[in-house]
Amino acid sequence: MNIRWKPIILSAFVLLVLFPFVYLVLLSFASEWRFPTVLPEYFGLKNWRAILGSEGGLLKSFGLSLVISLSVACISTITGFAVSRTLSYHAKRNTLTLLAYFPYVLAPVVFAVCLSYFFLKLGIFGSATGVIIAQFFISFPYALIFFMSFWGQRTKSYEELVSTLGGTRWQAYIKVLLPMAKGMLLICFFQTFLISWFEYGLTSIIGVGKVQTLTIKVFLFIKEANFYYGALSCCLLIFPPVLLLYINKKYVFNKLI
Amino acid sequence: MFLEVQQINKKYKEEEVVKDLNFNLDAHKTLSILGKSGCGKTTMLKIIGGLENSDQGKILLNGEEISNLSPEKRAVVYLYQEDLLFPHLTVFENIAFGLRIKKFTNQEVDRKVKAMIKSIELEAQWDKMPHQLSGGQRQRVSFGRAIITNPKLLLLDEPFGSLDAGTRQRMQSLFKKIAAEFRITSLFVTHDLKEAILMGDEIGYMQKGKLKVYKSKEVFIRDPETGVGNEIDFWKGLGMENGSLKNCTM
Repeated sequence: MNIRWKPIILSAFVLLVLFPFVYLVLLSFASEWRFPTVLPEYFGLKNWRAILGSEGGLLKSFGLSLVISLSVACISTITGFAVSRTLSYHAKRNTLTLLAYFPYVLAPVVFAVCLSYFFLKLGIFGSATGVIIAQFFISFPYALIFFMSFWGQRTKSYEELVSTLGGTRWQAYIKVLLPMAKGMLLICFFQTFLISWFEYGLTSIIGVGKVQTLTIKVFLFIKEANFYYGALSCCLLIFPPVLLLYINKKYVFNKLI
Repeated sequence: MFLEVQQINKKYKEEEVVKDLNFNLDAHKTLSILGKSGCGKTTMLKIIGGLENSDQGKILLNGEEISNLSPEKRAVVYLYQEDLLFPHLTVFENIAFGLRIKKFTNQEVDRKVKAMIKSIELEAQWDKMPHQLSGGQRQRVSFGRAIITNPKLLLLDEPFGSLDAGTRQRMQSLFKKIAAEFRITSLFVTHDLKEAILMGDEIGYMQKGKLKVYKSKEVFIRDPETGVGNEIDFWKGLGMENGSLKNCTM
């Protein structure tokens, strides 16, 4: 009998990829699961109900993470798009682009230590505003470098064409450049959201334990060996990126290819 | 004179790109300018369109000095070799672009754009997206989009350079027709000798940043600097060669 290996290998591969996520979801519903018991002693909605009842402050962390990441993604994408234009047409474009890589030369923790003195002086150390600004320093250069490929002779020609047709620079932005860059803007928003969403080192130092984002919370639960809450917060951590990935795939990626 | 260009000069670092540019053009006429790549044609057009600043000189359009006006206030439209259609807009909306910017009412936009679509013979394509059009159709939309704004002056920078020979010929005829219909004043830059002679009411030759405008096409053809004589000799020679070949085979 001729065995068809391809579907078997493919199925095994899919299972391997999906298993950690399925296990994570199962773990979030379980408690009192000790070796050598095969199945957990409790399996239900207790952990999830605890979130709604704000035990452990997970829901609050989820909300805080959303606010921080959405702010960072919005500010970085908009400013990155606008500033990358100036940078692209600048005479010292190469030198300035090199400077944009600077935050990535340092480890996030070292970078945070460098920033902490100034943040202390400004009185934003240990605040959500401080974390947003600190994360902006990392995501903004990313957006800047990302949009550099958008600007060039062709885009400049479009801008010039709009002006000779009687349009102002603002009209060129609103009616031509932003619609043309729509796909790139959404991808950049998605990427900078992810940078902020999963950021740990910088957030833990600038937030000094006062700003407990979901990523910080996951690490806390893992340190406390509370696997069930850890799994649950991981589920919450994964949910927004998966949703964004779906939106990205459905409305952006399919239109770009 | 409708267009008066006086003593325009432009330098990039130490290189003089445009030297002592002086010429005039009557309204509703086309001046075609022939020149090799890098001779300063594009810089000259961009200075007139306000997209580049000149180091000195002035430009008068219908008696009004426009040298210090920003491009959007000059009513001078610059057309590139590439059609540069807005990829997110339909043919209709691409043509309507300039009118919408100038806040025309929807009824006016509708009426003007439909008339323009008819003039450029694209009635069947009005709702298509740019990527669904051929090169020639795209260039027609580009013309329509520029002309509908009723510019005082149209600057064409090798607009048919990227088209194949057949489409190029059809576009040349179409441009002549539209230019007459809408009474357009234009500067038509090309490096194609035949196109320069065909398209212009007047003709000029640009070399190393200097423009020479000829009194007539005959004077242009007789000037050895333009290379027209060499071209005629080449074709004549080829004709004789063909003739002798023909005689041999007979």
